[in-house]
Amino acid sequence: MSDGPIYTIEGITKVYRTGEVEVHALRGVDLTIDAGEFIVLLGPSGSGKSTLVNILGGLDTVTDGKVFFRDEEITAFGDGELTKYRRDHVGFVFQFYNLVPSLTARENVSLVTEIAHDPMDPGEALEIAGLPADRHNHFPAQLSGGEQQRVAIARAIAKKPEVLLCDEPTGALDSKTGIRVLEALAQVNRELDTTVLVITHNMAVGRMADRVIHFADGSVARIEQNEKREAPASIAW
Amino acid sequence: MKALDRKLLRDLLRLWAQVAAIALVMAAGVMTLVLAVGAQRSLFETREAYYERNAFADIFATATRAPNRLGDEIAALPGVASVETRITQNAILDIEGMAEPASGMLVSVPDDGEQVLNRLYLRLGRLPAPGHPDEVVVNEPFANAHGFVPGDTFGAVINGRKRDLTIVGVALSPEFIYVVTDLMPDDRRLGLVWMSQTALSAAFDLDGAFNAISVKLLRGQSPDVVIDEIDRLLEPYGGRGAHDREDQQSHAFLDSELNQLQAMSYVLPPIFLLVAGFLVNMILSRLIALEREQIGLMKAVGYTGAAVAWHYLKLVIVIALLGVLVGASAGTLLGRGLTRLYGDFFHFPFLIFRAGVDIYLIAIVVSVSAAMLGALRSVRAAAALPPAVAMRPPAPARYRQLLPDGVPLLSLLPQTTVMIGRNIVRRPLRALFTSFGMSLSVAMLVGTLFALDSVDEMIDVTFFGAERQHATLSFVHKLPAEALYEAERLPGVLAAEPARMVAARFRNGHLERRLAITGKPGDSTLSRLLDVEGHEVTMPDEGVVLTTALAGILDVGRGDTVEVELMEEHRETVLLPVSAVVESYIGLGAYMDMDALNRLMREAPSISAVHVIADASRIDELYDAVKNLPLVGSITLQRAAVEKFRETMAENLIMMVTIYVGLAGIIAFGVVYNGARIQLSEQGRELASLRVLGFTRGEVSWILLGEFALLTLLALPMGWLLGYLMAYSTAEGLATELFRLPLVIQRSTYGWASVVVLVASALSALIVRRRIDRLDLIEVLKTRE
Repeated sequence: MSDGPIYTIEGITKVYRTGEVEVHALRGVDLTIDAGEFIVLLGPSGSGKSTLVNILGGLDTVTDGKVFFRDEEITAFGDGELTKYRRDHVGFVFQFYNLVPSLTARENVSLVTEIAHDPMDPGEALEIAGLPADRHNHFPAQLSGGEQQRVAIARAIAKKPEVLLCDEPTGALDSKTGIRVLEALAQVNRELDTTVLVITHNMAVGRMADRVIHFADGSVARIEQNEKREAPASIAW
Repeated sequence: MKALDRKLLRDLLRLWAQVAAIALVMAAGVMTLVLAVGAQRSLFETREAYYERNAFADIFATATRAPNRLGDEIAALPGVASVETRITQNAILDIEGMAEPASGMLVSVPDDGEQVLNRLYLRLGRLPAPGHPDEVVVNEPFANAHGFVPGDTFGAVINGRKRDLTIVGVALSPEFIYVVTDLMPDDRRLGLVWMSQTALSAAFDLDGAFNAISVKLLRGQSPDVVIDEIDRLLEPYGGRGAHDREDQQSHAFLDSELNQLQAMSYVLPPIFLLVAGFLVNMILSRLIALEREQIGLMKAVGYTGAAVAWHYLKLVIVIALLGVLVGASAGTLLGRGLTRLYGDFFHFPFLIFRAGVDIYLIAIVVSVSAAMLGALRSVRAAAALPPAVAMRPPAPARYRQLLPDGVPLLSLLPQTTVMIGRNIVRRPLRALFTSFGMSLSVAMLVGTLFALDSVDEMIDVTFFGAERQHATLSFVHKLPAEALYEAERLPGVLAAEPARMVAARFRNGHLERRLAITGKPGDSTLSRLLDVEGHEVTMPDEGVVLTTALAGILDVGRGDTVEVELMEEHRETVLLPVSAVVESYIGLGAYMDMDALNRLMREAPSISAVHVIADASRIDELYDAVKNLPLVGSITLQRAAVEKFRETMAENLIMMVTIYVGLAGIIAFGVVYNGARIQLSEQGRELASLRVLGFTRGEVSWILLGEFALLTLLALPMGWLLGYLMAYSTAEGLATELFRLPLVIQRSTYGWASVVVLVASALSALIVRRRIDRLDLIEVLKTRE
């Protein structure tokens, strides 16, 4: 761990209005996340963890409060600045991979490296993510779910982002494949010093994190600090 | 309402923009159909009724001087219902306040006022009274152009004598619905003047004789036999050959207008319906793909395949009916408007609107059929889909490498461009049809607006290349060649050139045409002959020169021989070699060296007209002189007519261009908007993912809209080619003996057609772009497609 906080979150709330109904997704969250941390967000559906990650990723706005990425207040950004912020600093891994079906594995990664400042070679990113070289020129439809998620991770890390935001990255995978994906995330965190935030429903995943943040009803319920991070391989579910 | 119908209604509301775009394309098709057929039928019916009520004749013939008893002989011919003998002559009219001389066509009416044929439709006043030789009835357009009412007077040079005529009536005639003076109708310049038979026969020394006859046939009688008989009877009296309505100027011109409307109803609607069918196909296959699970569910709970199919068919039928409703209403309204415009132009005394119920039924049937055909494939697939398969997500789309691995070209392209390429390759048919649909829009513009280029060319060739004179003075009868010198001495005349016209009948086997041979001096510089390429052709000393149209009709070419029956004085039939074929876009023409023609006629050099070039600053002096020349029967003002023609064209141009640009825009907009919306529905998730990854709105839009930009660019050359073919067939189809359109398409026409389509595509792309900007970035992360 190094460099002080990468995110400073000050009293953010988020209220969605759908028709006459108000949904309080976040009810005043204060949090500091240090650069290089591996954080797991746990909590039931609707507890606010996805909303927080979306706000941190510059995909959603707050109703109140402030979020700083290093010294910059991203909650004050407009659409163009948010796009640039995502492009330059953030990597995303989604539950359903969200690969471009018309591009091969390597091309899906190139898609991002082409617009990044100092990216790694797409092949190298795929290797780090653990996709065998003979699968690099396959289209997503020709890859298994686990393989597709590795492509997604490779795509997310290829631009060497400071932050990797993962929303249920193993949600659609069986446990064996899921563990491989988690190993890839741990490796990225370890070797590239990327701050990683992982949303999951799976309590066991928390054991590989530096900190586990429990969400309930739009607030941080409690934070667990792990003395020792376990290797994903030792986690079973 | 059944639950499924409620779903249908909501689907329609949800897809309103796309439904509207498709319905609009259909509406445009139905509109052009109803408009063209409605106007065509209304005008046809109006003309028929007008002819019927006013006893328009079937056969017309002229002679030099035929004794009145010949009228009775012709009336006695089998198949003839009635005849009317008349005297018709041209005259120069002198109208106060009008510098240039007007041309008058004098037509006799029986002294007792009982017209048997071609009855006048009196709008004001009465017919000339017996014993008042200077009383006349004039045609309404001419009266209106000069503000004439009964009681007004004007001057006329009748057979060399200047007379003052008094208007006692204003009328319309079925015989002169459309009359041309110089190049097009000019109500100011051409007056129809009806006078009593006695007055005209006295003026032209035709006591007890006539020089024109109209014949009404018994119902079902073919005109050919009667025409031959009339020709035989009139021959000794300078008969110039009888003809039926087909060759009657007013009738023939109306026919050509009606044909144009009919052509419009054949060409345009199928284009729109084809495009609409394609759009229905696209939107429905996407809808069915999206509702795959719902279809599975419907089947799982017991709906039959047929019920599912009918549900989706109802959707497209509603779209088609919406199109018919809008199109038929607009078509009916515009059809009436167009009929009224034509009605005003032709001065019909009344209008009969008749679109016919059948055309609406046809509109419904073809629109619904086009929509159902478009829907057929996807509906069949939906009906056949087993419920268990339907409940599972569809197999992922298959993409192929554009080029084999290791080809370096591909690695140079940005991935966003690769995506565009793979999308096109994955659905080549859809891409092709999208491009084709847009190309139809380009083609429609090229295929209609080319007419402007062609008319320009026609004017250039005819009036600046071939007939370069400013005016032509035609004499009442042929004059000795020396008359040319008198014409040269007229004030303001800079150059003069003679012409000699001889009525003739051309024959090659069973093919024949009646038209005057025009004799020109060998060294003529004003009225010239041009070949197909526009190069001047020197008049050959011997033989006859035919225009391409006449040569085509007679099926002869250069070097062939054609039989020519001379129909003046020394009537004889000669065989003449065709010494050259020249181009001319207006009418039919046959030319000879004037000396050769005089030799053929075995007469002293004589002339029937003089072409002149006039000094513009002294033109009024020339006009004044012409008004007092006893032997000038009419004057054609070519140069003034061209100016007027261009003005009229410019006025019509705006409306014509607006209509066709609108119609083409509807196609281009419909195709691009629907295509992009469907693409967005298919790729929305992908594009939102890219936005999350840090792609800007512009970059993401390019992936989707770039594909349409590419397809639009591909559509342009395809559209130019199709447009050329359309223009070609239009020019061929509209070619009549009255005029032909040279096939000329300027680059600017291709350019403007392309610009219209590019703008329409860009507009629809912009609208879709707004949706891309509003993509939900969060939703996409949560859902599997």
